[in-house]
Amino acid sequence: MSPIISASGVGKTFRQLKRQSGFGGAIRSLFSRDYSEIRAVDGVSFAIEPGEAVDYLGPNGAGKSTMIKMITGILTPSAGSLSVLGREPHANRMVNAREIGVVFGQRSQLWWDLPVRDSYDLNRHIYDIPEARFADNLAFLTAMLDMAPYLDRPVRQLSLGQRMRAEIALALLHDPKILFLDEPTIGLDVVAKDAVRRFLSEVNKQRGTTIILTTHDLVDIEEICPRLIMVDDGKLLFDGELKRLRATLGSRRRLILEFATDPGPLALATATLAADEGATKHFLLENETVSLLDVLGELGRGHGLKDVKLEEPDIEEVIRTFYQNKPKLAAAL
Amino acid sequence: MSSVLRVIPHLIGIHIRTHMEYRGALFIGWIAQAIGYAGIYASIALLLARFENLGGWTWPQMALLLAFHLLAYALGASLSFVQFRDMEEKVRLGTFDAILVKPIGPWTFLAFSGLNIEYGGHIALAIGLMVWSVSNLGIDWSPGLVLYFLAAIVSAAMLTAALMTMIGATALIWVRSRHLFSIFFGFWELARYPLNIFPLPLQIMMITFAPLGFLAFIPTAVALGKPVPILGDWAGPASLAIGPLFVLLAIVHWRYCLRNYQGAGG
Repeated sequence: MSPIISASGVGKTFRQLKRQSGFGGAIRSLFSRDYSEIRAVDGVSFAIEPGEAVDYLGPNGAGKSTMIKMITGILTPSAGSLSVLGREPHANRMVNAREIGVVFGQRSQLWWDLPVRDSYDLNRHIYDIPEARFADNLAFLTAMLDMAPYLDRPVRQLSLGQRMRAEIALALLHDPKILFLDEPTIGLDVVAKDAVRRFLSEVNKQRGTTIILTTHDLVDIEEICPRLIMVDDGKLLFDGELKRLRATLGSRRRLILEFATDPGPLALATATLAADEGATKHFLLENETVSLLDVLGELGRGHGLKDVKLEEPDIEEVIRTFYQNKPKLAAAL
Repeated sequence: MSSVLRVIPHLIGIHIRTHMEYRGALFIGWIAQAIGYAGIYASIALLLARFENLGGWTWPQMALLLAFHLLAYALGASLSFVQFRDMEEKVRLGTFDAILVKPIGPWTFLAFSGLNIEYGGHIALAIGLMVWSVSNLGIDWSPGLVLYFLAAIVSAAMLTAALMTMIGATALIWVRSRHLFSIFFGFWELARYPLNIFPLPLQIMMITFAPLGFLAFIPTAVALGKPVPILGDWAGPASLAIGPLFVLLAIVHWRYCLRNYQGAGG
């Protein structure tokens, strides 16, 4: 099967004005302007197969939005080659648009003053969706996203969670092969987040829609995307399954020792002290071969140990570790 | 092309429905605009009552000029002004990106989904003033002149929409373009008066670099059989050609800006 999206050495360079500091600098820049080139995306390569769910992850300014804009045909790459459904997205923007759906978490595509249904009707005409297919899809999405109570309500009267569900339905009405979602759960409450995640996971698994997600919400990643593409400074840092990342970095288990009273400073060869709260001490087990028994054996008796907790690293910890040690880890991965 | 034409009525319809959600604001807006323009025209009429003519133009002739100016502007601006004035916000906030992921030309989407029915007040006032002035001027309306007059209105409306598109499109590259609208409206104000009252450099500017002389003065002067500075006998054909010519220029400029669009970060 050929990839649905393939990027090969894709780069995007922006020309940025070099700003001079102070009032004098502002005056000087009126007459003499210096520009520098900013590489927002720098030689990124990956391939995404049909039906995959991928999180495109990176800190602010890492170049993830720029990459998504290039894939959706909004921006033209400065270097490399990019193919979406076998086409160059920017050169074939309108054809490409018929086969993709895009949800911008913080930019609504619904008509603010009109009932949700009116935005759907307009999209039916823009995407030229046959009436029967439109009716089927609308019925399916309304049921799945529990939108029936507010389908005829003006968008301005919807809660954020309802609006986000309506946005996702809007992006799926024309049966796109690829669904792009930019921070789809941002600002939602726990219940709404859960509903959105379950739905997206279902759309990916049942309908085979390829999902590309950009999110900072790590639960989104765990529940929707088995695969992660991590970027920073425009460069690809990691591309692989979440479980591979976790397996590589997962040795940093957290051991919490709770004592009856503060035993004073404790140094162990088998674990590194991460936080000292007096009677409660947090250690990190850097080495996967070290067991709980090894640590307790080293600790010995006589400290008044009351309770022991061993926590597996959560995804947040895994990703934090990755970014803290990125050059070393990227080489190892 | 046919699918685009099928979508246009729906784009216009959804915009009208949006406006009808606030019917009171819409009607008051129409009345306010009509009163605003009527006030400006009344002051011009008072001036003419004092001096009898302006550059050789009597009040009924001036009324035709003002009506043409308002009608052509309203027709062109309804498709372009608010839509492209707000272009820099669309670029800055990223809402233009949301248009680019739809399978429709962004100009078509912007122009028709924002078709400004608030210009209804302008159009009603312009037609009323035009009917009054024509009935007071005794123009010999041959079929050719009627056709010319109607085509000249369309051409001037096209010129307005083209200039506004070009200004708005600039925001795709510069992010900011609203200041260019200030320049446009500077010349637009001057376009309400006979060109011959201005010094020669300004007359040249108003038919070349900022061709708003074609918005009302030149076609009205041709219809009234008045002399047109610089252009002479070429004024009639030029006033018909200017709209389509600027539409072509606007298409080239729009496409260039779209190709070089970089967004505004985020």
